[in-house]
Amino acid sequence: MAKTIMVVDDSASLRQVVGIALKGAGFEVLEACDGKDALSKITGQKIHLIISDVNMPNMDGISFVKEVKKMANYKFTPVIMLTTESQEAKKQEGQAAGAKAWVVKPFQPAQMLAAVSKLIMP
Amino acid sequence: MSMDQALQTYIEESHGLLEEMERILLRLESEPQDDETVNAMFRAAHTIKGSAGLFGLDAIVAFTHVVENVLEAVRDGTLAVSGELVELLLQCRDHIGLLITVVAESAAALDAEQSATGEALAARLRAFMGGAPMGDAGMPAVQESPLAASGGGPLEGDYWHLSIAFGHDVLRNGMDPISFIRYLSTIGDIVSLNVDDSALPELDAMDPEACYLTYSLDFKSEADKQTIEDVFEFVRDDCTLRIFPPPSHLATFVDRLEHASGNTDMLGQLLMEAGVLTEHELESALRAQDSMKAAGGDAQPPIGEVLVKEGMVQKEVVDVALEKQRQIRDHKAQEARFVRVSAEKLDELINLVGELVIAGAGASLLARRSGDTALHEANSAVSNLVEEIRDGALKLRMVEIGETFNRFQRVVRDVSKEIGKDIGLEIGGAETELDKTVVEKIGDPLMHLVRNAMDHGIEPAAVRMAAGKPARGSVRLNAYHDSGSIVIEVADDGGGLKKDRILRKAIERGIVGAGQNLSDGEIFNLVFEAGFSTAEQVSNLSGRGVGMDVVKRNIQALRGTVDIDSTEGQGTTVRIRLPLTLAIIDGFLVGVGKSSFVVPLDMVLECVELSEADRRLAATRNYVNLRGEVLPFVRLRDEFEIKAPPGKRENIVVVQYGGQKAGFVVDELLGEFQTVIKPLGSVFRHLKSISGSTILGTGEVALILDVPALLQLGVARDGQRLAHET
Repeated sequence: MAKTIMVVDDSASLRQVVGIALKGAGFEVLEACDGKDALSKITGQKIHLIISDVNMPNMDGISFVKEVKKMANYKFTPVIMLTTESQEAKKQEGQAAGAKAWVVKPFQPAQMLAAVSKLIMP
Repeated sequence: MSMDQALQTYIEESHGLLEEMERILLRLESEPQDDETVNAMFRAAHTIKGSAGLFGLDAIVAFTHVVENVLEAVRDGTLAVSGELVELLLQCRDHIGLLITVVAESAAALDAEQSATGEALAARLRAFMGGAPMGDAGMPAVQESPLAASGGGPLEGDYWHLSIAFGHDVLRNGMDPISFIRYLSTIGDIVSLNVDDSALPELDAMDPEACYLTYSLDFKSEADKQTIEDVFEFVRDDCTLRIFPPPSHLATFVDRLEHASGNTDMLGQLLMEAGVLTEHELESALRAQDSMKAAGGDAQPPIGEVLVKEGMVQKEVVDVALEKQRQIRDHKAQEARFVRVSAEKLDELINLVGELVIAGAGASLLARRSGDTALHEANSAVSNLVEEIRDGALKLRMVEIGETFNRFQRVVRDVSKEIGKDIGLEIGGAETELDKTVVEKIGDPLMHLVRNAMDHGIEPAAVRMAAGKPARGSVRLNAYHDSGSIVIEVADDGGGLKKDRILRKAIERGIVGAGQNLSDGEIFNLVFEAGFSTAEQVSNLSGRGVGMDVVKRNIQALRGTVDIDSTEGQGTTVRIRLPLTLAIIDGFLVGVGKSSFVVPLDMVLECVELSEADRRLAATRNYVNLRGEVLPFVRLRDEFEIKAPPGKRENIVVVQYGGQKAGFVVDELLGEFQTVIKPLGSVFRHLKSISGSTILGTGEVALILDVPALLQLGVARDGQRLAHET
């Protein structure tokens, strides 16, 4: 049974490309377009890794991670934040919320895969 | 789902975002928007950029990055919205649209005009940001692991050693220690792995969510320390990581340290540059240093010690780095001690100081005449300062002659090889300072003299041995100060000059008359006469004839003199005497009739009054008895044919030059005078006995006496007269 990764970003194309890369590496991918959408889509099923953007409409990434970490099922789920070089403060905020890993935008699919494979195996 | 489809999504998504951006921009100016609206606009640019990176559309990433920065500043309130900015952003929006159409949809490149538009827009955006650098627009470089310098890969048993103690919370943070170790094997081979479970508590005390394990492993990889550390990037703050490089890396580190760029003199930075230390390690070492300081009172342990103690860097490497640090600091200190100034600026300053000296002299004169004591005092204070400024300014131009001398090491080595003689160069007085202009111009004559000394002065080894001299010949360059001049000597321990041969040659060439009596010095100086060319091998000076007159002319052009001392069989010394500076001298002002003359003060020994008795005697002879010594003198009145009758009293200015003492008979002694030398016009170039002129405070012109030439003239005339009388 392949492991599941949730990709939360408001850009559909980003979700698609990351999805292609992750599926290519043997993961299942669950997509959401913002924090609110993501919370509505995780309903207790096993999620092995969450990849989330920070700046999104409706609910931003940091609030989303805080919510997820409160849920018993996802307390130990690793989170990769998508940050930018200029957002050092956001990165700190994300880490405090429980997202210990990060990938700096813009990135190439291979960079994302490297970060993912540091955390989980397909 | 394929990449093509994803790209299609990107294009549609981007056009949608751009439309939203336009809508917000158009409303932005007229009605202030809430934060979220502005953020949405920023997010649009951010999203377009972020996804473009995924597709490798670098042109879009680069341009959008600049736009994003400006929008970020607007969102954060650091940049105010203006009509101009909105107008510009709208144009940028259009350009992004164009980029997406051209680059993303048709996979083409922009034409020249389009890229120029982009660059112009980006430049205007940067101008809005105050021209501040806005980070790198490109993709973050994918780190490539540099191969080990050995090229042959790591040696057997030559492994990295890693020790990783994971923090208790690592599991709670969603991190699985084993996945990092697994990832490690993608950049190398894990040769052995040990798990230290000694920290594991009794079962009932154990927290199942906590991590208690420490891993140590041997790792075979050609990656560098930073790359290995980056594997543990996400747990870096949550674990204790020690990375020990393979033994073979020590040499590489040492080599890299020794060739460090010298950009930094900080030990930690140096070690980082050489790849010995990672940024994270340095930070934690600095923290450790701070806490040690806090714990141990005021003494802060050196960072090198901390690094060794923390096991981050080996002591040997730290020692090399410390040595390099010392070198860099020395170099910096040396740089800091000197300021490079263009010679032109210095010349200008010296010229101005010269004018200042003249103007100062004028003011002094007026002050003295006015009889106002206070004014006179104030003026002498100014004069003293001007004098100091003059000396200071002239010193700026003074350089040590050592550098010029050292150039001859190479010359002597090359020439001695070329002519097959074993000759060494000795240097003395390298620290002697003289005017830079003089240094520049003395090089050629010196070269000539040194080559001559080697070629013709030093005998072949066999001849030297026969004469009981060491086989190795020696040429000595020496410099020293002597009464206001600098003396440069070029000496050799060769065969010396042969007087009779030189004299015979000179008579043959008609340079001297057959009956003339010449002193040794005069005979030697004949080699400087133009036309004293010796085609025949008359002496060890043969060949020196050509060019020696040029040497003399060059030196005279520097207001210097040259003479030769030689002892047959023992060697020759050519002595060049040069003024310390070419611009300003301390002069001694004397008056004869209505004319004023300046004698360079350094040459003045004393002034004595010419007594009545002496005056009577001096009418018939050109010498006086000075405390039992014969002092020959020159009457400036006669010398310069000054018509005015002699004053009631006359004085003798006693001068010394090159070991000779003589007197000048003058009317008045007017005292010290700072003399700015103005060269004589070319019409007067042939004048001996005058070396230049200067302007007095009154605006009158005073002539500067050429003491050596005057002495020579006087002596020659006496000789002629004596010859005539006998």
